[in-house]
Amino acid sequence: MTESSSLQSTAPATVIAVRDLVKQYDTKTALDGVSFDVHAGEIMGLLGPNGAGKSTTMKILTTYLTATSGSVTVDGHDAQVDAIKVREILGYLPESTPLYADMVVWDYLRYVGAMRNYPKAELDKRVAEAIRMVGLHEYVGFQISQLSKGYRQRVGLAQALLHNPKVLILDEPTSGLDPNQIIEIRNLIRELGKSHTIILSSHNLAEVRQVCDRVVIIHRGKVVADGTLDELEGRLASNHPIVVGLQLSSGTSKADAVAQLQGLPGVDKVLVSHDTQVPVPHTIFEIEAQDDLRAQVAAWAAKQGHTVLELRRKSMDLEGIFQALTQDNQA
Amino acid sequence: MNAVLTLARREMAATFDSPIAYIAGSVFLVVTGLLFFFGYDGSADFFAAREATLRPLFEYAPWTLAVILPAVTMRLVAEEKKSGTLELLVTLPVSDLQIVLGKLLGAFGFLAVTLAVTAIFPIMIATVGHPDLGAVIGGYVGLLLIGTAFLALGLLTSTWTHNQIIAFIVGLLLCVFFWTATDALLKLAFDRPPLALELLSFRTQFEAFAKGVVDIRNVVYFLSVTAVAVVASTYSLQSRHWK
Repeated sequence: MTESSSLQSTAPATVIAVRDLVKQYDTKTALDGVSFDVHAGEIMGLLGPNGAGKSTTMKILTTYLTATSGSVTVDGHDAQVDAIKVREILGYLPESTPLYADMVVWDYLRYVGAMRNYPKAELDKRVAEAIRMVGLHEYVGFQISQLSKGYRQRVGLAQALLHNPKVLILDEPTSGLDPNQIIEIRNLIRELGKSHTIILSSHNLAEVRQVCDRVVIIHRGKVVADGTLDELEGRLASNHPIVVGLQLSSGTSKADAVAQLQGLPGVDKVLVSHDTQVPVPHTIFEIEAQDDLRAQVAAWAAKQGHTVLELRRKSMDLEGIFQALTQDNQA
Repeated sequence: MNAVLTLARREMAATFDSPIAYIAGSVFLVVTGLLFFFGYDGSADFFAAREATLRPLFEYAPWTLAVILPAVTMRLVAEEKKSGTLELLVTLPVSDLQIVLGKLLGAFGFLAVTLAVTAIFPIMIATVGHPDLGAVIGGYVGLLLIGTAFLALGLLTSTWTHNQIIAFIVGLLLCVFFWTATDALLKLAFDRPPLALELLSFRTQFEAFAKGVVDIRNVVYFLSVTAVAVVASTYSLQSRHWK
């Protein structure tokens, strides 16, 4: 936890301050002392595996739930004391985008605007603006139930940003979409990020890398990392294994290659991952080391006459990152 | 206040968008039509009787309301719980009480429209005789009040579950219980039921309305039941915070 606070950069005004949030369901502790800040204009990614506490955090931020202890302030307003004010400041897209399927897009957005107390004249303007922002103009007359998942997501975003909120809270905005839709929605979020402060949750590291300025990683109800992606990857660099794909020179067996690699200075462990035929028959090795040994491995392969078809640092999947980070924290 | 009306409009539109409203409305019109033309035992046959009265209709319409209104209210919150839209609704800048009132008002719209359609019966009577207009108005005031109390009870049960069928069955039991079972139970338990308990029965409270008498005590009673159910529904919505 001390680690995470030291990573906080000196950024513009704090819009959201989460302090020591604890949420206790009947028998389960969903959040166990979560703290972070979100600054004006930032796109903050809340990253974590399913059940880590992302949605619970967002539900408390949006005043849907109340924390067992701890506090949330949004633009200086306490979410518990001043819930209505906080709801005025926020736009919220809950997980799986719940919408009234029986309503027509235009009517639905007008309904949301009317609930937000816009006078009639301004209401139509706001709805038209939201529709323009999310690119829904061709679908205003459609019933929501007729829309594809991607367009339903746009309706969900439109209702969230209808009142031009200072803060957007998006719970897994791309889950369940096909790859093209994911790209469209990500682009849209990046576009919105230019004029809004956004918190989005995801269990997809690549998504957070593409969209977010900063990331807070939650694991089992605790913050295990908080910082920019560069900072985070710096912390993780030491644990990165190297993947090398080699077409071995004739006369060299896989066992020989493993033994030779093992002999390179700094190498901890070498594994034969698998054989592959594409584009030519070759073998994938994984090398674990404290330092980035790609240059040394390349030099060794050239000297031995092996053809290098692939040489990269293994990208870590989310589980790997959590493992690394949690070990990190314990150390 | 705006939010309450907006929500009420949306609820009323959604109600009339679903076949349940038309089924419930038709059931009510058919049953009240039969009561109007034939009475509950044929004794008040409209065509034979020399009396221009709606009393059999007013006496038995609450039975029908107790059955059809929970079918109208069952979706109010349960459906939103199931689909997840409740989370968006309660995170709009409106209070939980406003949400409950808006939904109740929307359902009240259905009740008012349905009762308005039955105005055809007094109009028919007026063409052939001289009904007591005061008695007719009194009866309708009573039906609106007891109907609203049923709606509020139905709304309350809808906040308890995400399953509309359960909301309907529990709502139905609650409405029928308040309408008649207090009577039956009281008679089983006591030779002479205590006045305080007897006064709890919707039936006792409705008697005067059926005769066309609007007694302020009966009005206050039904409004109080409605208010209690509204407050209980609001607490039920808020219970998400302390679960």
